[in-house]
Amino acid sequence: MSTEAIPAEKPKRNYNALFGLTLLALLVLLWVILSLSTSSFASANNISNLLRQGSMIAILAVGQTFVIITGGIDLSVGAVVGFATVIAAMLINAGVPVFLAILLTLLVGVAIGLFHGFGIVKMGLPPFIITLATLTSLRGIGLLMTNGNSISINNDAFQEFSRNSFLGVPNLFWMVLLVGIPAYVFLHHSRWGRYLFSVGSNAEASRLSGVNVQRTIFMAYTLSGLCAAFVGVLLASRIGIGNPTQAEGWELQAIASSVIGGTSLFGAVGSVHGPLLGAFILATINNGANLLNVNAFWQRVITGVLIIVIVYFDGLRRRGGK
Amino acid sequence: MTPTAHEVHPAPALEPGRTILELRGLEKRYPGTHALKPVDLAFKASEIHAIVGENGAGKSTLIKLLTGVMPRTSGEVIWEGQSAALATPHEAMALGINAVHQEVVLCRHLTVAANMFLGEENSRFGILQQRAMVKEAQKIIDDLGFDLPAHVTLGDLTIGQQQLIAAARATVRGTKFLIFDEPTAYLTRKEADQLFTLIRRLKTEGVTIIYISHRMEEVFELADRVSVLRDGTLVGTRNISETNDAELVKLMINRSIEQIYHKEHFTPGAAIIEARNLSGKGFENVSMTVRAGEIVGLYGLIGAGRSEFVTTLYGRHKKSAGQVLWEGKDVQINSEHDAIKLGMALAPESRRDQGLCLNLPVGLNLNLPIYKRISSNLLISNAKEKAEADRQIAGLRIKTPTRHALASSLSGGNQQKIVIGKWLAHGAKLFIFDEPTVGVDVGTKAEIYRLFSALLSKGAGIILISSYLPEVYELADTLHVFRRGKLVATHGFHTADHEDILTQALAEKQEKLGGKT
Repeated sequence: MSTEAIPAEKPKRNYNALFGLTLLALLVLLWVILSLSTSSFASANNISNLLRQGSMIAILAVGQTFVIITGGIDLSVGAVVGFATVIAAMLINAGVPVFLAILLTLLVGVAIGLFHGFGIVKMGLPPFIITLATLTSLRGIGLLMTNGNSISINNDAFQEFSRNSFLGVPNLFWMVLLVGIPAYVFLHHSRWGRYLFSVGSNAEASRLSGVNVQRTIFMAYTLSGLCAAFVGVLLASRIGIGNPTQAEGWELQAIASSVIGGTSLFGAVGSVHGPLLGAFILATINNGANLLNVNAFWQRVITGVLIIVIVYFDGLRRRGGK
Repeated sequence: MTPTAHEVHPAPALEPGRTILELRGLEKRYPGTHALKPVDLAFKASEIHAIVGENGAGKSTLIKLLTGVMPRTSGEVIWEGQSAALATPHEAMALGINAVHQEVVLCRHLTVAANMFLGEENSRFGILQQRAMVKEAQKIIDDLGFDLPAHVTLGDLTIGQQQLIAAARATVRGTKFLIFDEPTAYLTRKEADQLFTLIRRLKTEGVTIIYISHRMEEVFELADRVSVLRDGTLVGTRNISETNDAELVKLMINRSIEQIYHKEHFTPGAAIIEARNLSGKGFENVSMTVRAGEIVGLYGLIGAGRSEFVTTLYGRHKKSAGQVLWEGKDVQINSEHDAIKLGMALAPESRRDQGLCLNLPVGLNLNLPIYKRISSNLLISNAKEKAEADRQIAGLRIKTPTRHALASSLSGGNQQKIVIGKWLAHGAKLFIFDEPTVGVDVGTKAEIYRLFSALLSKGAGIILISSYLPEVYELADTLHVFRRGKLVATHGFHTADHEDILTQALAEKQEKLGGKT
């Protein structure tokens, strides 16, 4: 093969950072527009509300991104969130100390992630299939456990956590940083992060280079399951109930956030800050549309259009950069 | 001796063909690179015109311009006396210009027949005439003398067979001008012969052929004329009868041929690895030893079991019988990880499928095997990551703007240097190179061979797999010949001649010889 000399290319080093800045600019632009066009957007109350709305999807999107970078997909996260609210509610109501209840709920998320890894690596199932199967069956298991009812959580301290703020910022948003910062270090500054990218780019080449591909895949789905269970705990705290039908469609919002944040569904391209920004852009659009009295049905349409526009321009830029 | 312009010589070997395609000052610039400097060249009807040159010399650019894949920067293309824009692939095909690429670009999941007629399906009232198409495809294939079924799924054929189908496909669309881009890179000798027969036949039917290859003997076997590109410039066109290997290589690289195969002999040290009666999928009962400071060459046709043997050594596949000794000790290698831990390194056969993470940076590819070493507990040391990558880039002279450039943006030769380079920092003792110079130009080949010597001098051992006999012949201290999964012969350095080795590798030939005596 005689590929020609490729024109000198600008270093791609800051590509992620640059794209992140563009997204940040978009987010700020949306905020400025909404502050000017509505009286209520810039209120402390609304901003807190918006941060709460965006936080949970943001955390889901981080876990989802790990999976997408390996070239996979995790459709189960919404169902895991709902299931986790049930587990947390049942444990707390049974008198298990809150701390332990949270830990056990997180372990359930880990177990679900490990099951996905097992299905993909050992049974050879496509990620789409195994996580789709979990999506429907977890909802079913949750409904069986609750007989289709909601479980009210009788622990005020647990519920107050999600309503309270620390240093004027909602606790839920602090949770985004709690997840986001270690996730950033993990993805961009640890060898396991590099392996996620290399497996997503070329699993065979990675294997021949000594990367444990199976373990890497297990890790990605486990982290996604863990993030989803964590979001389940936060949601249980926020709504004060355990209900397996909660978080319907959140998996798609998480995937959309990730993709808006520059993650490639073909794998090997992604970051942590991108999906976080993507999640808050989506939250802002929904919030703003509410304030502007835009029909809720239109919000869905707008979200869809936005995904197409952002991903299209991102693709254009990537190709143009070559 | 050297003809200055081919027009001066009446060249009796050439058909007195009219000019079918003429390039006048054809030029291509990318931002920052002058990929093709103005080229003037005329192709005659029914000639086989070889184009040779190193990677990055401008061959691919030329093809892309001729097939309408990319627009030219300036210049003119005259097709049968008329100026042609060649702005889209469609326009090029409509004129009758087609290309067969080195990597098969067909649909693996469709049948052979469906691929042959892709885009020009035979249908009646919107219904595909599948049976008719299979029948017609089979007729074309039989006509060409390929022993292949038309109804099977393309992906079930070997890469070589797929290549033949790609060539057959190009012949059925009123092609007048057919470009072959390194078509034999993955072909067995027999398949290559079938392809050459096809090419010669197309020539007699009046088709003009452009044949691009790194293999000189093919150029001399097939071509009427040959043009040499170097650094985007057309440095010469010769009638094939009036030139030779040495002249062409010199034109291509400005260097003489003796400097390419760089062989130093070292006194072999202790055995690094020994296989005893090893059997596995695709090979059986193979025994061999690799010692420090020697190159052990494995020669044979593609599919003879060489790659399967080394990937089994490397833990990719399970052995079914036999024993492996590493530095004299019995070892079980159950995974690539085990092999790498012992000190093995494998530069696999296919850069794209097995060697590289193409859409990731050069630096990440180079450091992939050593991330554990350049991490302290949790975090990767940025300084070490940078230093290791830059060291390999500088040491191997990998042409890349920075270590952050994507591997896919590099030329084939430079990509191959990454595949090899990632093991240098790892400190392996046994290097396995599976077809390390496929699709690599002469200059890069020489660099890779020099690298072998450097590894040997540090006490490493090398297993070199190649389907290209001169390569193993000139480099291997011990040469094992594989045929149909068995090790059939072993030679020392230059103790057998090419003819014997070829005969041992080709089962059919030997049977024929056996029949005669």
